[in-house]
Amino acid sequence: MRIDRIDEFRWRIPKEGRMRVPGLIFASERMMRDIRKDRCLEQVANVAELPGIVGASLAMPDIHLGYGFPIGGVAAFDEDEGVVSPGGVGYDINCGVRLLRTELTRSDVTARLEDLSLALHRAIPSGVGSKSPRALSDAELRKVLAQGARWAVDNGYGRPEDLQVIEEAGRFRGADPDAVSTRARERGRPQLGSLGSGNHFCELGVVAEVYDTSIARVFGLARGSLTVMIHSGSRGLGYQVCDDSLRTMIQASARHGIDLPDRQLCAAPLASSEAKQYFSAMSCAVNFAFANRQMLTHFVRSELDRFFGRSERELGLELVYDVCHNIAKWEKHIVDGAQRRLCVHRKGATRAFGPGHPDVPAAYADVGQPVLVPGDMGRYSYVLAGTRGATEETFGSCCHGAGRVMSRSAAKKAARGRSVFQELADRGIWVRSDSRATVAEEISEAYKDVSDVVDVIHGAGLARKVVRIEPLAVVKG
Amino acid sequence: MKRGHRQLDHTADLALELWAPTEAELLEEGAQALIALLTEDAQVGAKVERALHIDAVDPTDRLVRWLNEVLYLAISEGFLVAEADLVLHETGLDARVRGQDDGSASLRAEIKSVTYHDLVLTRRDDGSWSARVVMDV
Repeated sequence: MRIDRIDEFRWRIPKEGRMRVPGLIFASERMMRDIRKDRCLEQVANVAELPGIVGASLAMPDIHLGYGFPIGGVAAFDEDEGVVSPGGVGYDINCGVRLLRTELTRSDVTARLEDLSLALHRAIPSGVGSKSPRALSDAELRKVLAQGARWAVDNGYGRPEDLQVIEEAGRFRGADPDAVSTRARERGRPQLGSLGSGNHFCELGVVAEVYDTSIARVFGLARGSLTVMIHSGSRGLGYQVCDDSLRTMIQASARHGIDLPDRQLCAAPLASSEAKQYFSAMSCAVNFAFANRQMLTHFVRSELDRFFGRSERELGLELVYDVCHNIAKWEKHIVDGAQRRLCVHRKGATRAFGPGHPDVPAAYADVGQPVLVPGDMGRYSYVLAGTRGATEETFGSCCHGAGRVMSRSAAKKAARGRSVFQELADRGIWVRSDSRATVAEEISEAYKDVSDVVDVIHGAGLARKVVRIEPLAVVKG
Repeated sequence: MKRGHRQLDHTADLALELWAPTEAELLEEGAQALIALLTEDAQVGAKVERALHIDAVDPTDRLVRWLNEVLYLAISEGFLVAEADLVLHETGLDARVRGQDDGSASLRAEIKSVTYHDLVLTRRDDGSWSARVVMDV
C-alpha cells in the first residue's frame, strides 16, 4: 500500500481502486513503524470505499487493528449520499470516559492508598458478568434507554449539574426503547451500574504536570490534586444492539447495492428504514452507557464520602467532563466553505470541539471542551482541550487513548512469571481486579506510550495539552 | 479425520482457527472452542438438552449467528454448550445441543461478540472444512 508523508504529523493513503476519498493518518514517523505492522491501514482504505464518505477516511495516532473500522478511526458521511455502519460504532456503543476533580491532594491518601484501593474495588461492581446492585424492571430499563444520565440523576445517582458537563447532556434524543430487542434488554438489565471487564477501569490519579495553567484552572485541575477517571460503556445491551443491527445491515447492504470490502462494514443509506431503526436502537445504548457511568460515579462518591468521613461535596468530586468513544452522530460541519449536516462515526475516537462551538458546555466555551485521553494503568493519562484545528480538519475529532501494540495473548505471555500487581505496587500504584488475566493483558507494555499519541495530537493542532495525570489506585474490570 | 482449533494473534481482539471433517462438525468445534475461551477450559457437563434453530443469509453468516447464539446462551442464561448435533439447511440450521444450565459461575472471560471481520469459511480440496473467526473481547 502506498503511503505518502504530508508533514511531521500527517500521512496520506492516496485514493486508489475503489476508494472514494484518500486516507489521512495522524502519526509521528516512529509511531508509523508500529502502525504499518498490522493491517489497520488496510482498514482505513476499506472505510474510504463506503458510499457518501466526505473528505477523508481519518485515523488518529492511537490507531490499531479493529474489525471493520480501525480503532482510532473517524469517518463522516453525507446526509443524502452517505451511510451509517454499525461496525463503525462498534459493539461497546458509547464506551467512554469521564473525569472527576477532587479537593483531595496526594498527602491525604499516601498512607491509606492500599486500603482506599480495596474500598473502591468493593464499591464498584466489576469483572466478567458484573451485576448491578439495583434490580431493574423492564419498564424502568426502558426509561433508562429513553432518558440516559437524566434517569440516573432523577433516581438519586449524582447531581443535576453533572448533566451540564456530559457530551449531549447525557442523553441522545431519538432513542426508542421499542427499537431494542428483548435479548438486548435482557442482556443489559442486570448490568446497569457495573464496570464490566477488559480495559474498563476506575482510577484514582494525581495531576502530575500542568501544561496550560489557564485552561487547567477552567477545568478545575491543579498540580497535586487528585482525580477520578471512569471508563465503561453500554455493557451487554450495547453488544447485542450492534449484533442485532449487523444482521439487518448485511441484508440492507445487499438490497441497497453497497459493495463491502469487509462484511463487518455493512451499512445502510442514512435515509433508509434500516438506518433509522439502527439510530433509534443505538441511541438507547448510548443512553444506557451514560446512565451506567453516572451510577458508577455515584458509587465512587459515596465510597469516598464513607472512606474519608467527609461529605462528598466537601471532597469536591465534581464532574469535569464525560466523552463518548464509540458513536455515530449527526453534526454540522463546514466542508469546502459550506455548512453540511454529516453523520460522523467515531470508533475509538473522541469529539474535540474547540472554543466557541455551540455544543461545548458554557463553562468551557472560551477554552474548548475537555478531551480525556486515558493511557495505560502503569504510566499516565492526559486531559487536552479541543481546538478549532480539529473542527476544521477532523470533524472535531481526536484520539481516545493509547492504543494497543501487543495482542492480549502476547501481553499475557510477557506477563508470565511476573507479579504485575507487585511491580505496580512497588511504584506506588495499587491495582485491584478480580482477574489476574485481565491485569496481565493490560500491562503497560501492551500499549503505546500515550504521551507519543498526545504529542502528535498537540503538534498537529487537533487539541492542546492541559494536564498529565498519574495513577495511584486502579480498579480493573 | 482431524478436528480442532487454535487461537490466532490479533492486536485488539481474539481470533480462532477451526478445522473439521464436515461443516456440521466445524460448527460444533467452534461452539466448544468458544465455551472453552469463556470458561478458561472448564469441564462442561452434557446433561441438559435444548433445541435451537438459526436462520442466516449464507453459510458464513450461519457460522457467525450460530456462535453468537452459543455465546448468548452462555452469558444470558448460563447455559454452556458441550455437544451439538446439527442439521444444516440451505441457509440455516437446526441443532440439538447438550450442555449444562447452571454455568454462570464458570464464566471467566468476556467475549462481546463474534464478528464478521476477516471471516473465512472454506471447504478444502480433501473435502474437510476450515474457518477463521475474529471475536471482539
